[in-house]
Amino acid sequence: MVTGMALRAERIVKNYPGVQALKSVDFDLRRGEVHALVGQNGAGKSTLVEIIAGSVSYDSGDIHIGDQKHTYLDPSRSIELGIQTVHQENQLVEEITVAENIFLYDLPRTRYGFVNLRSCIQAADVLLQELGIDVEPGKKISSLSFVDKKLISIAKAFSRKARILILDEPTASLDEQGRNALFSLIRRYTSLGLSTIYISHHLSEIFEIADRVTVLKDGQRVSTKAIGETSLHTIVPEMIGRSSQSLYVRDKKGRQTLEQGSLLQIVDFHREGVVDHVSFSVRAGEVYGIAGLVGAGRTELAQLVFGVDRSDHGSLLLDGKDITAGSPFNAVDEGIGFLTEDRKDSGLVLIQPVYENITLVRFVKEIKKKVKSLLNLAKEQDDARTVVQQLDIRTPTVSQKVINLSGGNQQKVVLGKWLFADSEIIIFDEPTVGIDVGSKSEIYKLIEKLADDGKFIIIISSDNPELVSVCDTVGVMRFGRLVAELRGDQMTEEQIVKHSLGVSVIKEPEL
Amino acid sequence: MKPSAKRVEARGRELNLSVLLSITILAVCIVATVVNPRFIRITNLVNILQQISVLGIIACGVGMLLISGQIDISVGNQVSLMGIIMALIIQRGGEISPDAAHAWMIQWSIPFAVVVTFAVGTVLGALTGLVVIKSRAHSFIVTLALGSVYRGIALLISRGGSFTLYGRFETLGRTRIANFLPVSIIFLVFVVLVTLVLLKYTRYGRFLYSIGGNRKAAYVSGIKTTAVTMRAFITVGVLNALAALILISRVGTALAGTADAYSLDALAAIVVGGVAITGGKGNALSIFLGVLLIGIVGNALVVMNVNPHLRGIFIGVIIIGSVTFSGLSEQRSRM
Repeated sequence: MVTGMALRAERIVKNYPGVQALKSVDFDLRRGEVHALVGQNGAGKSTLVEIIAGSVSYDSGDIHIGDQKHTYLDPSRSIELGIQTVHQENQLVEEITVAENIFLYDLPRTRYGFVNLRSCIQAADVLLQELGIDVEPGKKISSLSFVDKKLISIAKAFSRKARILILDEPTASLDEQGRNALFSLIRRYTSLGLSTIYISHHLSEIFEIADRVTVLKDGQRVSTKAIGETSLHTIVPEMIGRSSQSLYVRDKKGRQTLEQGSLLQIVDFHREGVVDHVSFSVRAGEVYGIAGLVGAGRTELAQLVFGVDRSDHGSLLLDGKDITAGSPFNAVDEGIGFLTEDRKDSGLVLIQPVYENITLVRFVKEIKKKVKSLLNLAKEQDDARTVVQQLDIRTPTVSQKVINLSGGNQQKVVLGKWLFADSEIIIFDEPTVGIDVGSKSEIYKLIEKLADDGKFIIIISSDNPELVSVCDTVGVMRFGRLVAELRGDQMTEEQIVKHSLGVSVIKEPEL
Repeated sequence: MKPSAKRVEARGRELNLSVLLSITILAVCIVATVVNPRFIRITNLVNILQQISVLGIIACGVGMLLISGQIDISVGNQVSLMGIIMALIIQRGGEISPDAAHAWMIQWSIPFAVVVTFAVGTVLGALTGLVVIKSRAHSFIVTLALGSVYRGIALLISRGGSFTLYGRFETLGRTRIANFLPVSIIFLVFVVLVTLVLLKYTRYGRFLYSIGGNRKAAYVSGIKTTAVTMRAFITVGVLNALAALILISRVGTALAGTADAYSLDALAAIVVGGVAITGGKGNALSIFLGVLLIGIVGNALVVMNVNPHLRGIFIGVIIIGSVTFSGLSEQRSRM
């Protein structure tokens, strides 16, 4: 066993506008160890490894690699220092051979300067045998299975004299057999003295492969322990932390009245490989949260319900009446609103003024109703002013271009657009991402008010404290399925995380 | 630096593109008049408007399309092709002997040609839209290719020759009301006004801006983006048909390449008129002013007896000046 430190990061601080992603984090990596990094979405895992890989700069702190101290890293420098990252997505070039992919950064050449494919394949063959990877180096990448591509990515990293390997969710979309192949490769090269930083949401694997585990939460390190000294039951509470102080506490008194009132049923929505037969129901005035890890199919579910994407099947019933949308045009007509995850990408026309954004959906509805009258611009702006006042959107005038507004106010404009179109069912996808703390609580208040007005609210969020404080019910999705519905005392961060990760499988909800 | 103070200051300096275009047009008029007073005569001014009517009508269609984020550089070829078809029908109609059994066709050949031209315009617009939507390729490339196809068809039909109307179809291009106001100007004004109302006061117009500004957001807002895009392409085709009728009526003969230059001239006028090449921005008045400026510069150079080949250089400079101005005012409004 090789000993000594491969990497030591001390007091790393990283600020993004409005957020402190890392608050003085310490992290070290021994030679020949697999060090797992775990934490919830937004805990700072990715930021930390990106800093180590040199693709993100850090604001303060020191990084020691080997015995050298570095105050500054960039991608080429990190690679020179032997740091290699294997990303979740395949980053190989599909249309050339395995061997060429492995040596792409420095292909062996003939004396005329052409690529020497033969010696390239020979070298790849030697490397693959050394690593115990059973893949023909002359094959095209596109003909390989998903697992083999992953193994080749790691072999490529290895061939670049990697001393530190960063694996980001390496087992995502691998089956049992693929995972075993991957693990045996990891064990093989750690025995050669390589160190690995291993990021994964699948906590059970960590106990199979890691030597130590560091838990991050909200940009801070919670603990670093040898794997033998910890357990799932220690790690999960550490990821969630002590009862986090939510800035917003919703008064849920009198929520029992939800037994009556109109009922919205989401029935058996399915799209092969993305969303797996999801059903649940929401009462008028209820706030229904959907929790889960990134990639659990939550956004995809919302897109199916709203009709942005075609579903294999699934229907939407309002008090028994079929209102399944099938397209955004119909969804708008049925009174469904959808605040997308990325408001700049698909929520707003940034170069247009506030009032034109607010009135847009109403106009679509009017087209459906065959309204033919010309627009009354003065009345339109007056209407928009009313919405601006109701939602307290801070903008100098309604003619201001939306691009000039802050994130929180932009989000309110999107909400205003749906409310002005009289939407009764409102789906929020990550409603407070990139929004400062003050605006966040304003948005929560608005959501609460909408619920009190008897609207159906569905909130998708990765911010579990947010869900717990705002929602009446939280459904948890995992691998495209709705695996749990939490209410009342059951609705805690800990339960949400457990179900998201599938740590303790409780019996399925009966739907 | 205090951003708020700066914003107020920027607003004070903010200059509207329409105002700038008007000032430039006025300046060109003054210079031309000083050099040659004949420029400012009412007959010359009417002449200018008549000359730009075809360009203006084409530019309104392409302008609306560009606002929705799509481009069509095959418009000149469309107009040429329709000109050929129309002139062919009228010429054949004229060749029928009055004693022939089908002599009744003579008087119907012109209405028939007009109907066919509009039908062809609608079909060409729909076809262009369909190929753009189905191929999912950029409309610049698609219309580059389709323009080549349309030109090829025009050459096939005309066999490289020309068709002459022999003065049988002059109403649209040459007739003047009260011996003063050409009919084509009335069409131009009508088309500009309709464009203005469509863009500013209808839901459809608002959808064009939204799709051009952010196609995804427009789609999520419930707008049927492909249907609206299709309609914009068809509008271009129909306006091209009108332009073809006026042009061929005025010129009196049709060649396979008669109107090809309009593809880029229209685009130039629209861009001078402040429509963003990326979509989402522009208005009917500015498009008209862009067309007018280009028409006036061409005429002024002739009247001032300057080498008319300088026209291209002037127009190039105007385009660059206009887009630079748009870029600068854009930056300022974002500060």
